[in-house]
Formats: sequence, C-alpha cells, structure tokens
Amino acid sequence: MTATVAHPEQEITVEISERSLRALVADTDEQQRASFGSMPDQIRALHSQTRPLRRNAASGDAGIAAFAQSVELTAVAAYTAAARSGLIKTPAVLEAATTFADHHQRHAAAFGSAAGSAATGKLNKALLQALSPGLAAAKTETDVVRLAYNLENAAAATYLFALGALESMAALQLTASILPIEAQHAVVLGQVIGADLATMLPAFQTQDGFVDPAKFPVG
Amino acid sequence: MNHDQIRRFAKDSERQQRDSMPALTDAVNRFMDRDDRTIDATSSVLLGGLTRRSLFKVGGVTVVGAALIAACGSDVKGASTTASSTSPATVPSTTGATTVDSVLNTTLITTPLTTSADITLLRTASSIENLAIAAYQIAIDSGLVTTAAVVSAAKLFQDHHRQHADLFQSTTRNMGGEAFTKPNPAVLAQLKPTIDALKDEQGVVRLALLLERAAAATYQAGVGTVTDRTLNVALMSVGGVEARHAAALAAALMDVPVPTPYGLIDAAIASGTGV
Repeated sequence: MTATVAHPEQEITVEISERSLRALVADTDEQQRASFGSMPDQIRALHSQTRPLRRNAASGDAGIAAFAQSVELTAVAAYTAAARSGLIKTPAVLEAATTFADHHQRHAAAFGSAAGSAATGKLNKALLQALSPGLAAAKTETDVVRLAYNLENAAAATYLFALGALESMAALQLTASILPIEAQHAVVLGQVIGADLATMLPAFQTQDGFVDPAKFPVG
Repeated sequence: MNHDQIRRFAKDSERQQRDSMPALTDAVNRFMDRDDRTIDATSSVLLGGLTRRSLFKVGGVTVVGAALIAACGSDVKGASTTASSTSPATVPSTTGATTVDSVLNTTLITTPLTTSADITLLRTASSIENLAIAAYQIAIDSGLVTTAAVVSAAKLFQDHHRQHADLFQSTTRNMGGEAFTKPNPAVLAQLKPTIDALKDEQGVVRLALLLERAAAATYQAGVGTVTDRTLNVALMSVGGVEARHAAALAAALMDVPVPTPYGLIDAAIASGTGV
C-alpha cells in the first residue's frame, strides 16, 4: 500500500505497513481525544437529552452506544488511512471520503455522549484488525472505495441490529437518525464502483453483515 | 413481524433484482461517467451538502420539502381513524443547521404508546407505500421519463415499495388491525396539482425524491414511539431503503445525495394523516 505524504515543497511516496496504519490510527485516536476537549454545544445538548439512558446503563443501551462509538471511530480511521494512501485520485471521491469521515466523527461523538461513562473514546481494535489486511492490500482507488462501501453497509446493518436491542427513546432515535446516513454513504460509494444492486439498493435493510459486538468487543 | 420475515422479504427481492434489473447498474449507478457533467458538478454531487443547501423544485416552484408535507398534515387534522381514536401526532418542524440536538428535539413525538397507535402508524406507513407505488406508476405511464435507466430505477423502486406495503399491511393484520390498502388520500390530494403539472423527466424524479425523503423521515420519526419494539427494526428496515432510494435519485439529479450528517424528520408525515 502506498501513501503520498504532503510536504510544502515535495511529495514523498511511502509504503504503508500495517504497523504504520496502526500509528495512523493512533493519530486519529489522539485527534478524537482532542476534539472531545472542544465539544460543541450540540453535544452538550445531547448529553442532556440522554441523561435517562446513562442512568440506566444496566439496560445495555450505554454499552451498545459505546460499541457504536468504537465502530464510528474505526470508520474515521479507515477513511483517514484511505485518504492518506494516495490511491484516491479522483478529487470528488477524495472530497466525499473526507465528508463521510466527518459524518462518522460526528456520529462517534454523539454515540460517545449517549454512552456516558461507558464510552471509551477509542476505535474498535478487533474491527480494525479485520479491516487492516484489506487496506494494506489495496492497490487502486476502486479497492479503497470498495472497502469503504462494505464498511458503510456493515455499519447500516449494525444499527439495524442495535435497534432491536436498544430500549431508551433517546438511544433509539439517535441510532435511527444515523442508520440512513450510513446507507446513503453506501449508495454513493456503490455508484462509484458500480456495486451490485442487491447490496446497494436492496428492498429491505437487513442485519446481514453487521458488526457483531460479541466478535468485535469494545476495547 | 420478525427478523426472519424481513430476511425472507429481502431474499425474495434480491432474487428478483438479479433476474430483472441488471441494466440499472450500468447507468444510474455510474452517474459520474455522464459526459454532460463537469468536474465541478460531479464534485457537488459527492460533496454531501457542505457547500449548498438543497431545495426541492417541483412543478417549477421551489419549496422546502418539509413545507409541502407539513402542509399535508395540517390539512387533515380532522381525518377519521379506523384503528385508533388518538389524534394524529404532530411532528414539529425545525429550521437551521442539522445538529444532534435538532434531531432529538424534533423526534419527541407525543403519540401515546398504545397498540392502537402502533396500528395507526402501520396504516400510515402502508398508505405512504401505496402512494409511492401509485406515483411511480404515474411516472412510468406518463411518457415523461425517457431515460431507460431512470425507467428501470422507477420500476425497481416501485417493486420495493410493493414489498414494503406488503410488510406493513401484513403486520397491521397480525396486530389485529385493518390493513390500509390505498394511497394516502390526504398527501395525494396535496400533491395532485404538482403531479398534474409535471412536464419533464426532471420534475418526475424530483417528485419521487420528495416522496422518498418523506417516507424515510416518517419511519425514522416512528422509531421509539411504538409499543411493539420489533416495529423499530421493521420501520428502519424500510426507512433505510427509502434513504438509499433518495440518495440514488438525488445523484441522478446531480443533487446532494447525503445532505446532512443525521437523518432529519422535518419531512415526516404525521402518524394518522389521511388514514
């Protein structure tokens, strides 16, 4: 996997190993922690809205929200790695990746706030481990976009799964507001790579391919 | 309604799609390959709404989508309900930036948590799906849609809406209610002048986009308001797909496919409207 590192006077093409990818992810983690320090008003408002959820952590809602946050942060890391890989040559695709990463960052913050003390603020290591070989082996823009496409579909499926387990109104509504966005990301990316219709535009959103918290635990 | 049922519907659909719709991928899905699009236009399509606010243009009149649908709801506050004695819920509208708190504040619907309210919501959902089926049929029959890929998309999405209607109607019956099998009369009446004024393919696609966004918003708004919690999954198993339809249609129009970081319910049709 190659990556182009921006420099004021030159561009340097480097190989990105799995270890480098992890370092990159650590950077993302750091950015995430920094962004929590300047949480916007909207997240404080959410915090107020989800107070009952945090009090009722035993219901499992807080744990699910923490898991969702870890998935979102992993998506941010994956997009960041993709953007830095140098493989995305089409400016519009690169901008889309940046926009979608921003969406995921916002989703992570929202889920983190909903999770309260259960939130780790860290990405999902097991999920990253599962994604890393694909990212490291990517050789073309299509390869990278396909990975993102699969991840978006998995995220949408995961939130449908979560809707079957969540109990509080706030957690349900937050999750229901994020699921369609991941689904729409998938359509945009699917159009870029010419994905098959059955997965890009299915008749029903299903839980097929969801990120299973039992297999990809937080932490 | 259970997960197996949804899975069964999905499998049937996948099979149908594989059999009948291979051409769509080559056209609608590859919108970026269109020769008449500039790099800027393509970039705009993919940017996700960071640079401009998306408005609907229907029948030559520019309106914010929420206003049209909200007007539909306000026209039918006195509509009778056969499955519930509750008044239609009011979904507050919001303006301004899309934020997490705006999403949550606008989803605090006051519908009482009762089985009859669930049935009313399911009947409303059925009526929206039936309306979408009818609208796509009007589009197909109008002769205004001339791009083969758009015709294919209309047929595919119409087929999805048939399956959604089947799901909502069968679930209504399973819960002891009477299934609503007609297009939503209140929303149809509101849209009729627009439908009558359609004069080109772009207008038809914009109308479809309006309906898909309204449907997605309606189902999202219903989540958390139901007594039968499996309905939360059912609603978004459909709502997520309407959102996908909307993204594809928006892309076909070179509009923003993902205009906000959170799904909004501004365009939601209040439960009980017209049913």
